[in-house]
Amino acid sequence: MTNLYIRWGGLLIVTTVLIVLTYHHYRDNLASLVPQEVRKEAPTGEIRVLGMVQGGTLKTRDAGEATFTLLGKSATLPVHYQGPPPDNLRELKILILIGTWNAATQVFEARDIGIVPNYGFIAGAYLLGLLPLALFLFAMTRRVNFLYEEIKASKLYEEE
Amino acid sequence: MTSFNVIRWIVWKDFVTELRSRETISSMVFFALIVILIFSFSFSMDQQAAREVIAGIMWVAFAFTGIIGLGKSFSTELQNDCLEALQMVPEAKGAIYLGKVAANFAFMFVVEILLFPMFVILFNLEVVEEISLLLLIFLLATVGLSAIGTLFSALTVQIRAREVMLPILLLPLVVPVMIAAVEATKGALNGDPLALYGQWLELLAVYDVVFTVVSFWMFELVMDS
Amino acid sequence: MTIHRVIRKVQRFQGWFGGGAALCLMVGLYLGLIGSPPDYYQGEVVRIMYIHVPLAHTSLLGYTVLALGSLWYLWKRDPIVDNMCQAVAALTAVFTALALGTGMIWGKPTWDTWWTWDARLTSFTVLLLILIGYLMLRTFVDDPEKEARYGAILAIVGFVDLPIIHFSVEWWRTLHQPQSISMRGVSISSGLLVPLLFMSVGMSLLFSYMLMVRTQLLYLDRLLHAKKGRLLSQFHLSKSDS
Repeated sequence: MTNLYIRWGGLLIVTTVLIVLTYHHYRDNLASLVPQEVRKEAPTGEIRVLGMVQGGTLKTRDAGEATFTLLGKSATLPVHYQGPPPDNLRELKILILIGTWNAATQVFEARDIGIVPNYGFIAGAYLLGLLPLALFLFAMTRRVNFLYEEIKASKLYEEE
Repeated sequence: MTSFNVIRWIVWKDFVTELRSRETISSMVFFALIVILIFSFSFSMDQQAAREVIAGIMWVAFAFTGIIGLGKSFSTELQNDCLEALQMVPEAKGAIYLGKVAANFAFMFVVEILLFPMFVILFNLEVVEEISLLLLIFLLATVGLSAIGTLFSALTVQIRAREVMLPILLLPLVVPVMIAAVEATKGALNGDPLALYGQWLELLAVYDVVFTVVSFWMFELVMDS
Repeated sequence: MTIHRVIRKVQRFQGWFGGGAALCLMVGLYLGLIGSPPDYYQGEVVRIMYIHVPLAHTSLLGYTVLALGSLWYLWKRDPIVDNMCQAVAALTAVFTALALGTGMIWGKPTWDTWWTWDARLTSFTVLLLILIGYLMLRTFVDDPEKEARYGAILAIVGFVDLPIIHFSVEWWRTLHQPQSISMRGVSISSGLLVPLLFMSVGMSLLFSYMLMVRTQLLYLDRLLHAKKGRLLSQFHLSKSDS
């Protein structure tokens, strides 16, 4: 019985390590600000901002340069984008901008565009796929051990 | 007694029982009528909508009534230990299977023939040109339903909760028959050219052959006591 | 009995199956979640594939094992083979349900719907219904020998039916929805293939391991029941003697 718990404990530790590693890997992609927070806090350094490209404001100068207005819930940000040619920069699209907030000119200098993360679905799928299997297997293994012990204890077992 | 005689006697026995009691066919017909009534209440249909859904309604009604008939086919054998008598027949059990399939097929087909005019009248269908084709579809689908249904009727009759288990086991297995019958009937009622839905008739034919053979083999194992 | 010897031999490698499954799954999870790049079209959501596709593969494998085991039972009539069939049916039902569940979660961000009457989804649902019917049938039979026999018959008939169900549903879908959403268009690059391979192998090993454990469980349960019944009858006999 203790053997069983040791084995499953080891598995649990490895899984926890894996979860922590995964969380660290995606933590940078998870945190993002919204336009009103940028306006209020005026953060320095590189940040990620989530918002929608306002309709009728997108002006593309050449392949890697564009200006538009990013729409949040209660505030907007003028954005100047300069970086690799974007694939998914369209009007009315929700996206994540990576860059710095220029407090002097009140313009967000974006250097890259990220996809809106939907990690909830991935986490849900992995939990749904693996958790029931693990619980099922654990319950079965424990029951097998119990049955062995019961057979031994009740002296039911004899060589035939 | 040869196997052929066994088949003949089983069919004859079922027909005589049915003629004397008139239980199975009358209950099937009235159940189907109620199903049609319920369906016409639940979808308020005009002529156009009726064309789209009528094939589905028809086959749902036929399948449910078929299950009533199939369930009765072996549960009547429980009285007076007739099932044990059938198990003791010295001939191959496959003969009993073929006899029962023939009887079940006949009951279901008669019910379908009786009900079809009701559909034609109640839903204003025009079927004069396609009547032979529709009969062929009914024939093929009913053979499939009764071939696999008879096996599961014999199987479920010997367990608890048999009235529930027959549809639960049977309906997932006859999904191809239902799809093919509904699609082919829809095509025939719309007057489409045969090439458009001929594949469904082929599917029904393949299903009939495969499951008559498989059920024929398996029946031996079901009837082992 | 040869079968018992085979099973005892397999049981000796049980630990290897379990350890191999754990190792493969952990490596597969690491590669799938961290080590592989996101897909160009689907983005990060493609990572659901690494859990969904192995579950689906394994449930098809499980159904094949169920049909073969049922044939074996009808041939040899060995109760432990029947224990294996019962175990494999329950496990396959779980795997199929989980494959459907993860498929639904995958469908929401990619197709923007939880459920679509796609050919593969529909035939997996019918497969799940057949398996649940199998498990229900087994609980409704009193005699263990009959229970095993009827279960085997249903499993074999269902196995023969599966390809026909799949074809009919596929035809039906192409008829009603010509621009049907299909996974065939997505070409799988090698970066996605390696974690998928690890997860598939890991899931198959996990399935085998769980199958061994569950077969053991059902066997021990039966043993305990039989022994208890024998002791009880001996006890009653000795009472009536005195």
